[in-house]
Amino acid sequence: MTDTRHMSLLVRDTRTARRNRAETRFRIYGLAAIAIGLTMLVILLVTIVGRGSGAFQQTYLSVPVTLIEAKLDKNGNRDPADLKKVTTFGYGPLLRSAFEQMVDDGTIRTDLPAKKIAGIVSDGAEAQVRDAVLADPSLIGQTVTFEFLASGRVDGYLKGRVSRESIANDKNISAEQLDIVDQLRTAGLLEKRFNLAFITGADASDARPEAAGMGVSMVGSLFMMLVVLVLALPIGVAASIYLEEFAPKNWITDIIEVNISNLAAVPSIVFGILGLAVFINYMHLPNSAPLVGGLVLTLMTLPTIIISTRASLKSVPPSIRDAALGVGASKMQSVFHHVLPLAAPGILTGTIIGLAQALGETAPLLLIGMVGFIASNGPDSLGEGLLSPNSAMPAQIYEWAKRADPAFYERAWGGIIILLVFLITMNAVAVLLRRRFERRW
Amino acid sequence: MFDNTTKPEALVSKTSKISTRNVQVYYGETHAIKDVNVEIEDKTVTAFIGPSGCGKSTFLRCINRMNDTIESCRVKGDIRIDGEDIYDPKVDPVQLRAKVGMVFQKPNPFPKSIYDNVAYGPRIHGLSRNKAELDGIVERALRRAAIWNEVKDRLQAPGTGLSGGQQQRLCIARAVATEPEVLLMDEPCSALDPIATAQVEELIDELRQQYSVVIVTHSMQQAARVSQRTAFFHLGHLVEFGDTDRIFTSPEDPRTESYITGRIG
Repeated sequence: MTDTRHMSLLVRDTRTARRNRAETRFRIYGLAAIAIGLTMLVILLVTIVGRGSGAFQQTYLSVPVTLIEAKLDKNGNRDPADLKKVTTFGYGPLLRSAFEQMVDDGTIRTDLPAKKIAGIVSDGAEAQVRDAVLADPSLIGQTVTFEFLASGRVDGYLKGRVSRESIANDKNISAEQLDIVDQLRTAGLLEKRFNLAFITGADASDARPEAAGMGVSMVGSLFMMLVVLVLALPIGVAASIYLEEFAPKNWITDIIEVNISNLAAVPSIVFGILGLAVFINYMHLPNSAPLVGGLVLTLMTLPTIIISTRASLKSVPPSIRDAALGVGASKMQSVFHHVLPLAAPGILTGTIIGLAQALGETAPLLLIGMVGFIASNGPDSLGEGLLSPNSAMPAQIYEWAKRADPAFYERAWGGIIILLVFLITMNAVAVLLRRRFERRW
Repeated sequence: MFDNTTKPEALVSKTSKISTRNVQVYYGETHAIKDVNVEIEDKTVTAFIGPSGCGKSTFLRCINRMNDTIESCRVKGDIRIDGEDIYDPKVDPVQLRAKVGMVFQKPNPFPKSIYDNVAYGPRIHGLSRNKAELDGIVERALRRAAIWNEVKDRLQAPGTGLSGGQQQRLCIARAVATEPEVLLMDEPCSALDPIATAQVEELIDELRQQYSVVIVTHSMQQAARVSQRTAFFHLGHLVEFGDTDRIFTSPEDPRTESYITGRIG
């Protein structure tokens, strides 16, 4: 044994040196862990933004289309019923002659037939012209310049996803068509622009990735969140207040408490199949409806809200309860006048985080059919919004990611950006609320 | 152990406000209060002294049934205020607590404005018909708690922003605002500095004009300064109860003597 009593303070003994080395090592481990985490986060964000930002830009092509009266309104009386008889298919020739016109005036130099040239615009172009004519029949007989979406391949060409080499075996587009695209681009008729339709629009069929948007599924998610908020918040808060403030502490409440914690850990797909069995098969609520999705997500969110609410109720000092009871407030008055307002910021934070979790949840929605092609426009009423089939943002992303066309793949990443923006906003609101209303006592 | 031998004339004439008979308190299996009999007089300050864990706070909390909030706590025996058994099933503890106010060890103002702190009790008990009346009640309570001059210009400021001593006086104002008949104080000065303590003690002496005040304290000097009657608790027993002067000058029980001379506790 060394005699430490006579050692100089200027010389470090072996024990101290060992302890200091251990501490240094631990600091390095900690820093390394944080560095790894941050690197992953950066890689994730860079990948998402890099792959998804393309979805917010779309290639548009301006084409002057002459709306020939003989083709659209044979009787010449602009009767809406007659106008509607001309199908989308009937607008094809107008489009083709518009491109022939562009060849004639030298804007496009090509040997391709008009039908092939028209292949560079989206399949939805005819419908776009028809909608414009039906909305304003006075356009008939005039030459109107339309902004058409370029086809997914052309859009990919401008974004570098499609190249002359990659289309060698592609039946949807040819090198000659890309020549035309180059010519139009030089002429300033074809360009990439910010694409609001991606945020507000509906999903589109497999053949038209260029037209697909998140708007409808966003509405679906909104209605589901509405259901979750309206059901989960009051039920969750009421349950927590009862358990925390009123319920006797015995083995029954212990079991309830343990089970609530267990529920929070149940995989979400279990809630999905439960929703399918109970809400759809037993209660016969409509398939794919945001109401059902909302109910399932409510079940999933309730434990989160209950746990966070109970934690915030617990964090209110007992002296506040004593103070209220001491001046003769009833139990309920002490809870509602004093404890609940103090716990409110924590409850709100928990609720928002629960909602954000529910917003990003996909698995249960797959089971109740909230995934698939939904191209409806915005609902007319609350009831319709709740009951008519819809999708949800994460389900829409999943739907796009599994489609074959790489243009949809880009949209899936774009959808993730939108979803992340929502989630980050909600979490930021939660943090701000907590900061704003946090009380000290 | 109950002392009733040397009551001065002045105290004999006073009526008994609270009287307890054979009070037992259990926390689960623990027998915390054993056979306590005590007569607490109106318009008197009664001090409960004793070493930590002797049950004086527990006994105090029986008087306004604050122990009801502790699940494992059971109270047996008889506690009467003005001859009425407060543990009668017909008694609503909420009504009782309006009559028996309480001030706690740690100042615990609500995180609301000073005004709302004091006005809360009168509001929930419906003591005022309009804003002007409520203003009057608040002012009277704050004056009685000797804090009016310090806060009259900032009634809307948060009560939690006051100093410790001011907070405790605010809590006293809050307690007296509901016009209680008995005021229970559970070590009201233990979190305060000597100056704030002196202010609160002075206040207790004034409150005696209108209330029956029961104060639990760890400080024997404080008991000697503010109280007329003193009860000494030890290990759940009421060892000795009598006039403060006599308890401190010629205690009858050897345990009391040991405690006040500093040998136990």
